[in-house]
Amino acid sequence: MAFDRVLNVAKKEFSDHITSRRFIIILALFLVISTVSIHEGIELYNTRLEMYNEQLRQMTAGFEGLYPGQMPEKPSIMLVFLFMMGYMTALGSILALAVGFDLVSKEKESRSLKSLLSHPVYRDEIINGKMLGGVGALGFAMALALALSLAMLLVFSVVPTLDEFAAILIFGAASLGLLLAYFAIALTMSTVAKESGNALIYTLVIFAIVSTLLPAFGTMAADVFAGDPPEPPETVVPMPTPAQSSGGGYVTADDPRETDPAWKDYEEARKTYIEKRRLISDISSILSPQANYVMVSLAVTDPGSSTMYTAYGAVQAEPGGLADALGRIWMNIAAIIVFPAAFFAATYVKFMRMDIR
Amino acid sequence: MIRTENLAKVYNGKAAVDGLDLEVGEGEIFGFLGPNGAGKSTTILMLTGMIEPTGGRCLVDGIEVAKDPLKVKKIIGYLPEDVGFYGNMTGEQNLDYFSRFYGMNAKERKERIAELLDLVHLGGVTQKAGEYSRGMKQRLGLAQALINDPRVLFLDEPTANLDPEGVREYRDLVERLAGEGKTVFVSSHILSEVRAVCRTVGLLAKGKLVAQGTLDEVARTLAPSDGDAVRIVVETQEHLPDIEDTELLAVERNGNRAVFRAKTDIRDRLAASLLEQGIHVREMRIEEPDIEDIFMAAYRR
Repeated sequence: MAFDRVLNVAKKEFSDHITSRRFIIILALFLVISTVSIHEGIELYNTRLEMYNEQLRQMTAGFEGLYPGQMPEKPSIMLVFLFMMGYMTALGSILALAVGFDLVSKEKESRSLKSLLSHPVYRDEIINGKMLGGVGALGFAMALALALSLAMLLVFSVVPTLDEFAAILIFGAASLGLLLAYFAIALTMSTVAKESGNALIYTLVIFAIVSTLLPAFGTMAADVFAGDPPEPPETVVPMPTPAQSSGGGYVTADDPRETDPAWKDYEEARKTYIEKRRLISDISSILSPQANYVMVSLAVTDPGSSTMYTAYGAVQAEPGGLADALGRIWMNIAAIIVFPAAFFAATYVKFMRMDIR
Repeated sequence: MIRTENLAKVYNGKAAVDGLDLEVGEGEIFGFLGPNGAGKSTTILMLTGMIEPTGGRCLVDGIEVAKDPLKVKKIIGYLPEDVGFYGNMTGEQNLDYFSRFYGMNAKERKERIAELLDLVHLGGVTQKAGEYSRGMKQRLGLAQALINDPRVLFLDEPTANLDPEGVREYRDLVERLAGEGKTVFVSSHILSEVRAVCRTVGLLAKGKLVAQGTLDEVARTLAPSDGDAVRIVVETQEHLPDIEDTELLAVERNGNRAVFRAKTDIRDRLAASLLEQGIHVREMRIEEPDIEDIFMAAYRR
């Protein structure tokens, strides 16, 4: 394989993508909606920042408030990108599918593939060039979206710190991973199908399966395999009563949940139940690029409170920094990389064996 | 220049090409004849390094195609049947894209493309290839096949979409290329087309080579066997009398016309005999089998 020939194919493909009407329209829509979402995010960030400043002002003025000892948390500008995440999963996915679904099938239909293959270029160079061109076009779209968001932050006088800038880059990489996953699906279907119409249908079916059905199936499977949640013991838990002392506030009598062995058993059983549900749900979610992307994006945009909410209201607080948050979801990060790689490999094998008569 | 040895290609258990042995010399214009589905295009795909043979081997200029397809592709040009292009690009852009695979620099590419587009009468055409007529695509196909100034040219049904003027120009071009020493391999199911340009032919049927040589040689090979008999057609002004000759085998009469089957050419004795009897001869000739009929019969076999 010669890189100059791969590059020749990739350059042509990249140029085709970024000049195609389809790509330009979806990209324009994507950027406009991104701009709107970033603007909304910046407004929310500013509101939270004002609240934070107000709390600080009250603390420095001597008002301890109702929550003594609790330090207000400064909002992160990553809040802005939390808004962007939603649009990325919808429009970004469509952009990726649009880039890939007819990449090979169109060449089969127009018979240009046969003409191309009659010149000194290997099949693997063609498919690698096509992949590279598509990845380049999606990378270009992602870079534009990130540049736009950064520009808007600066326009609104929000300057990210170095850590926040790193988080933005990781968010961009995760978003590109999502786009590549759907691009890889579309490219595989384009290689499998003889016509672009069929390729689009296959692509949409796989898209629906991995983005919607698999996570839903995970929840259903969790319900089925984890069984019913454990019931709490019938012990009366005393309500807090107003304190008799002059200090004000609330006091409670001895909480039986801390001493009653039945309650301890219940808590254990509940924890095991939640872990089991999570495990079953995670296994199916790991196959969904969208679910993985949401997990990674949440870890990047809000690493301080990677709180797990389950359908049964369980809360597991695991505070920490960005690295800790990313460490906890390493499987999702790996899945974001492995998913497109697996589909690219399938495309490669199919393309190499394709009948070109 | 082109050689195949026991070449075979099997698709889903069915042999598309079955033990093909073929040899085409340098500078020849070779016609590869056969009905649709005979295996002509499959053979060309193997010769051009686009698919690998299931068995046997093929060589172009001494290079085994399956072992070094890229080296072969550098010295050949190929016009596929129903040639296709990138519809969003102009003819010039299409040619520029293909020419980059030959390591030509920008100046070489520009000059070569301009020359070829003029040659196929597409110079100055700014339309996208997607808007081309089938004839225009065919002409652009010819240009793309010549982009690297190939030593061997493979043309698959080259006149399929051309108008009469285009066909005439194509024939002139093929003659000119052969004059330059290039080997031209023309695949077609149209005998008249092959007859017009090719010096040697090979006839393929059901994946097997039925005959190879000049057209006359192939026609003789394929002609229905009539022993060593000579067929003499005779037409006279008057009613044909009975003819007696020791060499005569049979006579098929039809009024003033008859076909004599004889062991040897007895036209001189036949003419003398008729003259003696005062019969005026309108026509007397040896009946050659019609080459179209011979090929059609071979196609149907």
